[in-house]
Amino acid sequence: MSQTADFHPELTAFTCIFCGYMAADTAGSLRLEYPANVKLVRLPCTGKTDIQYLLDAFDQGADGVYIVACSLGNCHHVRGNERGKARVEHAKKILENVGIEPERLEMFFVSGGMGATFAEIAREMTERISRLGPSPVKNGKKAPVEHTA
Amino acid sequence: MERASDRVDGASPRSVLVVGGGVGGMRAAIDLAEAGIHTYLLETLPSLGGRVAQLGFMFPTHDCVLCRGTSDHGFGCTRPSITPALLDNNCHPNITVLTSAELRSCEGVAGDFRVGLWQRPQYVDPALCINCGRCAQVCPEVRPSGFQLGMSTRKAIDKSAPRSVPNAYYLLEKTAVCDSCRKCVEACPTRAVDLDVRPVETEIQVGAIILAMGFQPFDAAAMPELGYGRIANVITSMQYERLASRSGPTEGIVRRISDGEAPKRIAWLQCVGSRDQQNPYCSSICCMYATKQAMLAKQRIPEVDCHIFTMDERAFNKEYNQYYHQARDTFDIHYTRCRISALEEDPTSGEIILRFPGGREHESSARGQGALREERFDLVVLAVGIRPPTEAVNIAKTLGVALNEYGFCETDKFNPLTSSRPGVFVCGAFASPKEIAETIIDASGAAAEVMRLMSDQLGQRTFSRAQPFVSENGFPSEFPPEGSTRSVAVALCSCSGEVGDVVDLAAVQRFVSDLEGVTTAEVLPIACQSAGLERLADLVRQSGARRLVVGACSHRTHEPLFQRLIAEAAINPYLVEMVNLREHCAWVHAGDPAGATRKACEMLRVAVARVRAAEAIHKEEREPARAALVVGGGVSGMTAALAIADAGYDVHLVEKSDALGGNLHHVYYVAEGDNPQRLLRDLVNRVVAHERIRLFLGSEVTHHTGSVGDFRAVIRRGPGEGRLEELRHGVTIMATGGVEASSPRYLLGQDRRVVRQSDLEELLAHDPERAAQLRSVVMIQCVQAEDAPEYCSRVCCLNTIKNALRLKMLNPDCQVVILYKNIISYGFREKFYLEARRRGVLFVRYTDEEPPLVRLEPRGARQALVVSVNEHIFGKELLFEPELLALSMSIVPSEDTSGLAKTFGLKLSEGGFLQEAHPKMRPMDFADDGIYLAGLAHYPKFIEESIAHSLACAARALTVLTRPTIQLGGVVAVIDSERCTGCLTCVRTCPFGIPEMRYDRQGVGELGGAAWIDPARCQGCGTCTAECPARAIQLRNYTDDQVDVGLGKWEVPALTVAG
Repeated sequence: MSQTADFHPELTAFTCIFCGYMAADTAGSLRLEYPANVKLVRLPCTGKTDIQYLLDAFDQGADGVYIVACSLGNCHHVRGNERGKARVEHAKKILENVGIEPERLEMFFVSGGMGATFAEIAREMTERISRLGPSPVKNGKKAPVEHTA
Repeated sequence: MERASDRVDGASPRSVLVVGGGVGGMRAAIDLAEAGIHTYLLETLPSLGGRVAQLGFMFPTHDCVLCRGTSDHGFGCTRPSITPALLDNNCHPNITVLTSAELRSCEGVAGDFRVGLWQRPQYVDPALCINCGRCAQVCPEVRPSGFQLGMSTRKAIDKSAPRSVPNAYYLLEKTAVCDSCRKCVEACPTRAVDLDVRPVETEIQVGAIILAMGFQPFDAAAMPELGYGRIANVITSMQYERLASRSGPTEGIVRRISDGEAPKRIAWLQCVGSRDQQNPYCSSICCMYATKQAMLAKQRIPEVDCHIFTMDERAFNKEYNQYYHQARDTFDIHYTRCRISALEEDPTSGEIILRFPGGREHESSARGQGALREERFDLVVLAVGIRPPTEAVNIAKTLGVALNEYGFCETDKFNPLTSSRPGVFVCGAFASPKEIAETIIDASGAAAEVMRLMSDQLGQRTFSRAQPFVSENGFPSEFPPEGSTRSVAVALCSCSGEVGDVVDLAAVQRFVSDLEGVTTAEVLPIACQSAGLERLADLVRQSGARRLVVGACSHRTHEPLFQRLIAEAAINPYLVEMVNLREHCAWVHAGDPAGATRKACEMLRVAVARVRAAEAIHKEEREPARAALVVGGGVSGMTAALAIADAGYDVHLVEKSDALGGNLHHVYYVAEGDNPQRLLRDLVNRVVAHERIRLFLGSEVTHHTGSVGDFRAVIRRGPGEGRLEELRHGVTIMATGGVEASSPRYLLGQDRRVVRQSDLEELLAHDPERAAQLRSVVMIQCVQAEDAPEYCSRVCCLNTIKNALRLKMLNPDCQVVILYKNIISYGFREKFYLEARRRGVLFVRYTDEEPPLVRLEPRGARQALVVSVNEHIFGKELLFEPELLALSMSIVPSEDTSGLAKTFGLKLSEGGFLQEAHPKMRPMDFADDGIYLAGLAHYPKFIEESIAHSLACAARALTVLTRPTIQLGGVVAVIDSERCTGCLTCVRTCPFGIPEMRYDRQGVGELGGAAWIDPARCQGCGTCTAECPARAIQLRNYTDDQVDVGLGKWEVPALTVAG
C-alpha cells in the first residue's frame, strides 16, 4: 500500500490518569512539540486496558494504538500496568493472527515528569506507523480522510 | 495543660495553625480538616511540597514521589479515588493555604493563641494566573533554579516546577530592575501581575499550633576538604536526587557535571555533616537514600560501578535489611567501612581520587585491614545530613518553644509530639532527623494531640465527598434524568489566546455545533475565571442542555472546577467532560495550527459522544458507628484508646492477657532517664478510669466483618469457649504488639550465664548489688532464630548500650564488650553510643560470614563460658571468658499475628508483621479504610515511636468518627450478577483483593453465587472489568459505552480545517 508523504497516520493513545496523563501535561507545560495526529483517551489505570478496546480501535480504523502507563513498579494501583502489559502482548498476537502488524500497537511506561519522553513517544509512533502505511483494516473499509494542512 | 473546652468566655477559636507545607504539614492539615477542624497551612516558600517534592523516588519501594508524595495528584491519594485536597480548584474546604508567609508573633495560651502573620507579596495573583508562562518568557532576569538546586536556570518570575501548588507563577524577589522593566506586567494576558503589591500583615486566632518545619540539608561547603563547590564533579545527595528525578533537569539521566558524560564510577561519602564533632547525631536517612541512589544508578546507567563509603549500615526499618541485601547481592554495590576525610581532583580528566583502606569490603572486612588503596571516580556524591530548619531559632523564640542541644525542637520521651509550650506540637524532622514514613506518622499523631485539645471543634466544619470533589454541603437537588435527548452544551476556552491563537476555535465551534446532540457551542475568552464561569452557567441554563463538554485545559487542575459549576446548576457532576485543548493540543502543536485544530475537533467529537453515554453517579451515604475497636492493650493500644476517648468517642479495648501494659512491664528504665514504669501506671490508671473506654481483658476478637463506618466484631470473653459478645464500630485499630524472641542460640537455656538482654535489665533493676559484682560481660547483637528472616529489630542496640552504661555505672571496672554488626543509634541516640565508648565499653564488629562462637571449656572444676570473635581490623581472633553473656534477641510479632491477620483480612509482611497500605505514605493505614495499624505489630520500635504511631491511628480514626456521614462508592466497579459465571477471575485479578463470592446473589442462569464488589472498598482501577470473560463488570464513569466510542478513525472533514 502507498507509503507516500501524504499519508498522515491517525493514532489513538490510551493514558492512565496518573503518570501517563501527567506526562502529557508536562510535555504541554514545557511546550514540547509532537505530531498532531494522536488523540488521547483517558483510563483510570492502564489495568483498565481492555483487549476489546485495543481491537476496537483498529476495527474503527486507527492506524496505530499505544498505551502510556506509569513506570513498572510504580502503578498507582499496585500492578494495573503489569496487567495492561500482559494484555497488550496478547492483543499483539491477535493482531498478527488477523494480518495486522503487531508493531502498530505498543505500550510505554513513563513517569509524570517525563514530558520530553512523552513527546518522543508520539514522534516515534508516528514515524513507525508512517513507515507501515495505513492500517489494512482502514483500507478495507474506507479511504483515509484527506488532510489539507 | 489547659483544655480548650475548659474556657468559659464564649466561643473558642476554631482553627489550627500548621507551620510548614511539606509532607508533614500537609498530612497534619488534611487530617485536621477531615476531622472537621479548620486549619491554616503556612509555608514560607511560594509553593507546597517541601523537601519531598524534590525527591525522585522513595526507598525501599522506588515509588515515584510524583503522585504518592506530593500534592501533584492531591497529596496522599486516599481512596476510593483521588482526593486532591490541596489542589487550587479542589482545596479542602477546611484548609486555608498561606504561602510565602511567615509567623511573626504569638500571644495567648493553649486553646487561644493570637498569631501574627506576614505574607510576602508574590506579585502574581494566583486567582488570575492561567499558567501561560508569558511573563517568564519576557523576563530578562535569569537565576539559578532553587528547586533544581542550581543545576538549571529559571527566570526571576517563574514557577518552581510545572506542577507546583498553588498552581501559579510568582516573582521570586522584586529588584530595582523589575520596577523599570515591567515587561511581565505588559505580557500578562489576565493582568495577574502587579508589581506594586505590598506585604500583608494579618492576625489569626487559633487553638493550637503544629510545627512541621522540616529540616535544612547540611551545607557541604562547610567541609572544604571534600571539595564541594570547588570540584565540579562533587555534588550533594540532594543534587543527585534532582538528577535522578524524572522531573529533574535531565528527566532522570545522571550526567557528570563537568562534561555531561555518563559517569562510569560513582562514590557516595556518608555522614557528611552527621556523626562528627559539630553534628554529634545521626541523620537517620542517609544510609538508605545513598543505597537507593546507587541502586537507581545501577538500573539506569549501564555498567556503572557504585561504591558507598560508610561507618555503619543503618537499615533499621521495615524491609530495609532486605533492601540492603538486594543492593549488595543483586546490584553489586560496594560498601566500604571507612570515613573519607579528603579527596582530590585530577584536573585533566575531572576524575576524583579517593584513598581508603582496601580489603575492607563487606565480605572481606573480617580478614585484615589491607593496604591503602587509591581509586578514581567520575562523580562523588556527598550524603549530606539533616540540620535544623534555618528559621528554627526565630520561630522558637517567637513561640517560646525550647530547642534541644542540637537546635531541633525539644520534646519529651513519652510526649514525643509535644513541645515545651502547651498547645504547640511538633512533627517530622524538626523534632529529630527522620524519614518520610515517620514524618507522616508524627504529623497524624500531632493532629491527634490537637484533636484532643480542641475536641469541642471536632466535626464542627462539615464537608462532603458526595461529589467527585471535596465540598461544603448545599448543592441543589439534581434534575431528573432527561430521557433520550441527552443534549450537550459545548464551551470552548480560548485561554486568553493560549488556545485560541493556535487552534481555530471558530472552525471548531462550527464543527461541534453540527454534532449530534449538541444544542449550543460557544467560545469563551477565559472559562475558568469569574466572568467565564458565569457565562458558562448561563450557557447551561439557557440551552437547557443537561450535559456539558468544556474544551479547556487539564483535567488534573480544572475538572473539579467545572464539576462544581455543573453541580451548582443542578446537574450530576459526572455529566461534564473535559477536553484538554491547551496542554494536549495548542501548547504542543504551536507549529501546526491546522493539525491542532483538526485534533481539537476530533477530541471534542469523542468527548461529546462520551458525555452522551455517561450516566449520573450517586454515592452511598453511611452514618459511621461512633465507636472504635482497639485490639491490644499495650502502650500503643492504650495510647490510641485514650486519644480517641479523650476526644469524646467510645472505645472497646480488647486485650488477650489479663492485664494491660504489654511489653512495658519489662522495661524498667530507658537511656534517656525517664521512668517507663510511671508511664505504665499513668496509662493503666487513665484507661481503667475512663468513662468512654470499655475494657475487655482476657478476651479475643474471633470475627471481624464490614467496612469503614460499619464494622462488626465478635469478642470472646474469658478463657476457653467464653462468652461471646457482638460489637458494631466505625473503626478498628490493630495494636497487637510484638515480643522478644527466645530461640535457643549461643547456649541460651543451656547455661544460666547466657541470658537475654531483658533478663539482664531485670537483674540491673532488681538486683543492682549483684550486677555490680560482675567483672566481665559480653553482649551479642542481632541474635535471631536459625531459620528466621533477617531484619533489624531497631531497638536492641540502644537497649544494649543502655544496659552497658548501667553496668559501667555500677562498676566502672567491669569489662563490657558488645559484639555487633551495625550499631543502630540513629537520631540523637548517637550520644549514648558515644557515651558508652567514652566509658570504655568495647565495641567489636562481626559479620554474617563470621559470627561469634560460644562454647564451654573446662577450667578445673568449672566450665568456662568462652566467646570468640574475629576482630576485623587486626584480623585476629579475640577470646572472652565473661561471667555473663547477654543476647539481643530479635523482636518478633506477637504469637498468632497470622491468625489475627486472617480474622481481620489483613496481609502479613516478611517477618510476619502486619502489612500497612504503603510503607512510606500510609504507614498507619491498611489498604482498607477505617482500619489502622500501630506499634510493634507494624515493626519493632521505641516507646516514643509507638506512642506517635498510635496517636497517628487515633487521628485517622477520628477523621471517620467525627463525620456526620461518610460517602462511599462513586467511580467503582459494579458487577451485573446475572452475567456472572462465578469464574473467580475478578477475585484473582484485583490488586487489592476486594471482589468476593457471595452466595446470597444469583449468577448467570439463576445459579446460586455471584461475585460482589464492595463499593466502600473498590479503588476504581478497572482492572477486573478488563479481565472479566463474561464482561459482567462495568466501571462507573468508564463504562464500555463511554470508552469504546471514537477510538479509531478521525471523523473530521477536511473542510473544517480549511475554513
